[in-house]
Amino acid sequence: MKPQGESVMLEAREITRRYPGTVALKSVNFRVYRNRVNVLIGENGAGKSTLMRILAGVEHADEGELLLEGRRIDLRSPRDAAREGIGIVHQELSILPNLDIAENIFAGREPTRAGVVLDRATEVTRSEAALRRLRHPMNVGTPADQLSLGRRQVVEVARAIDQNAKILILDEPTSALSNAETESLFKVIAELKRAGVTIIYISHRLHELLHIGEFFTVLRSGRVVGEATRAEVSRQWIVERMSGRSESNDIAAAVQSGPELLRVRGLELAASSAGEDSQSPLHDVGFTLNKGEILGIYGLLGSGRTELLEALAGVRARLAGEISLNGDLLRLQSAPDAVKAGIFLVPEDRQRDGLFPELSIRENITLGAWRGFLVDRADQEAQARGLVAELRIAAKDLELPVTTLSGGNQQKVLIARCLMRSPVLLLLDEPARGVDVGAKAEIYAILRRLANQEIGVVFTSSEIEETRILADRVLVLCQGCISAELSRAELSDEALFAAASPVVAASAAQSMGDMHA
Amino acid sequence: MTPVATARQGKRSLRASGVRFVLFLLRARAILVLVLLVLMFSLLAPEFLTANNLAILTKHVSITAILAIGTTFVILAGGIDLSVGSVAGLGGMIAGLLITQGMVINGVTHYPSAFAAVLAALATCLAVGLLNGWMVAKAGVAPFIATLGTLYVARGAALLVSNGKTFPNLAGQAARANTGFTALGQSFFAGLPLPVWMMLALYAIAAFIADRTPLGRQVYAIGGNERAARLAGIRITRVKLFTYLVSAFCAALVGLIIAAQLEAAHPATGESFELNAIAAVVLGGTSLMGGRGSVTGSLIGAFVIGVLADGLVMLGVSEFWQMVIKGTVIVLAVAIDQLQSRIQARFLPMLLEEQTTEGA
Repeated sequence: MKPQGESVMLEAREITRRYPGTVALKSVNFRVYRNRVNVLIGENGAGKSTLMRILAGVEHADEGELLLEGRRIDLRSPRDAAREGIGIVHQELSILPNLDIAENIFAGREPTRAGVVLDRATEVTRSEAALRRLRHPMNVGTPADQLSLGRRQVVEVARAIDQNAKILILDEPTSALSNAETESLFKVIAELKRAGVTIIYISHRLHELLHIGEFFTVLRSGRVVGEATRAEVSRQWIVERMSGRSESNDIAAAVQSGPELLRVRGLELAASSAGEDSQSPLHDVGFTLNKGEILGIYGLLGSGRTELLEALAGVRARLAGEISLNGDLLRLQSAPDAVKAGIFLVPEDRQRDGLFPELSIRENITLGAWRGFLVDRADQEAQARGLVAELRIAAKDLELPVTTLSGGNQQKVLIARCLMRSPVLLLLDEPARGVDVGAKAEIYAILRRLANQEIGVVFTSSEIEETRILADRVLVLCQGCISAELSRAELSDEALFAAASPVVAASAAQSMGDMHA
Repeated sequence: MTPVATARQGKRSLRASGVRFVLFLLRARAILVLVLLVLMFSLLAPEFLTANNLAILTKHVSITAILAIGTTFVILAGGIDLSVGSVAGLGGMIAGLLITQGMVINGVTHYPSAFAAVLAALATCLAVGLLNGWMVAKAGVAPFIATLGTLYVARGAALLVSNGKTFPNLAGQAARANTGFTALGQSFFAGLPLPVWMMLALYAIAAFIADRTPLGRQVYAIGGNERAARLAGIRITRVKLFTYLVSAFCAALVGLIIAAQLEAAHPATGESFELNAIAAVVLGGTSLMGGRGSVTGSLIGAFVIGVLADGLVMLGVSEFWQMVIKGTVIVLAVAIDQLQSRIQARFLPMLLEEQTTEGA
């Protein structure tokens, strides 16, 4: 089923990879076509990253072989892969924050003079050349921790470029990028293609894949379940192959929204920053939330969306502003104050801020509810079981570590933890981040059900699609200010995007004016 | 450009240079503190700034400095080495044993040369360093625990060598052809004690490795983000082994120098030296989280500790107060370190902005 006129650059044949207890890849055949954007799709845990790690020499297949331009290759380390011209930009950014751009580009393969002394001049010229090729010239002496996420990614791509990568693997490169940064990455990819590089691209974002993909391979549970060219592929096709079921977008719309639940007035947050934890300011943010309603907060990275939720959860100290819940003015000085009032936050980065990886699923669900000296384990276990059933958390055994669950189920565990304590208001920062399509729909349905039970639901999102599907009303944040409030009727991709980005906001207003004129 | 805009920009760049000055002061704080201490003690104790006292001071400092230089690599790579004090003790005892007791082979006692005794001591200590490195890099034991273990093991071994006794008379005997060991601690070269030369040589080599070689760069990389370093193809195990070997080598030298200076090897030598070494490294601005710092900083840090101890003794400050003051200085140093990174992060956008407008 090789498409006409295309040649196979890299082929993985009958690759099998076993982990203790599971088989991550079962006899996978994966073809990579020369000078094309080869897209690999699959839900979380389908085996995409494992396959890529094998192609990049980070892991080894238990069975099967790799053929590069028809020649059998044996990759024992990332160094071997680089030697064969295979470069990878890993899913988690793997930048060295304490080194500068040039040092990052040459980490682990530093050029030397006389085999001893670092050759800084060569590093600088070659780094600059690689960045120029990517049309992203930067001062290569800049420390990496001063770069935006998008630029860090460019540095990683530059590392692969300098190693003369013939094949570049991008493993979910856009998951942390803003729309503008994603656009610029696509330009980089186009540039690389023009230079003859073969791309392997992995992402969860379907519209992206349809935008740039040329060949599509779908993995499900460690097996290849579909292969097609762009012409043969549709959104429907991908979703069905990925999940093995058809997509349903309709989340039952809100029931009649009830009386006011939450009122925020004049919320101010100072800009502060300490390295990684830099904070966007908020200016005069005010809004209300009614019972039964789901409120979406849409904004780009750095718009202040996370800070807004954290201020509501008492995690961030606010300069000014009033927050009242059910008509009572809250005194929110700390997270425990918020919890006492019934406000719970499901954080954006569940690995870092949400889960206790050493603890079991049951403990992760119940630990917020431990009170007093003695824990009534039987009672809590029963409650946890109830929630696991209610939220359909796919767990064989609640005593297994929470890390044995997939991303979607981990997210449900965090929601269950909030539900253990009868929340009044639930705050979710990117509720479906890094979660596959099937679990996404389930999480949306859960949130809708909770809203119908008169629990307040506020979520932030950087995905237009998610905001459109889930929110009854949307606040758009732009540089710390509310730039628009849109009802469900007013909600459109263009409106969201225009309000969220300061530059586009100006030009959109301009073009609107032109249209009217 | 309008006058108002020019004025605004002028104001901003004034503010930026102010920030830059404060940051410069904070970054150069170790050397500033050192200069201040020297000035203060020179004023308060007239005999402080005499050639004789400075020679004694530098000799004392060389001990802490050599340990700190070795420990710097371990800490830069995100580890810690608590065993250096015990390793120093063990090194001195091995040399002491070979020089005073010799080796019994087939019932005949052989006395190795002083040089051979030194090599044997170094080899023993490097073996401990190798063990540390293996436990941390291969077996995945947390550095704190692994080196806490070898702290006890090496100290126990040092005590076992002599059953807890001291080996006296390390000068050796001409009849046994094993004299010369004491030169290591007592000889002078071009007017400076040999240990001071060793400190300077080690400093030069270490600074060169850290700043100018791939190996040094990789030490920083591992301390900055070990996962990313591994994915970049850096050989983590090798580099970590190197750091613990350097640390053990420096510790062995210190043990030998002390034994040579005292002409005796005592099994308790080097107790709590590891804390001095870590303190010097931290005072020098190296982050205990790894990835940030310098060998030069550690050298300055060692001098700060040395000058502080020496000066306080001269002023007649009691030993108890000395400990209180030393502890305070260390904590302050780390607090200022935090302050520096916070200020830097806070004003970075402004400085960067200015940079770009300048460039435009």
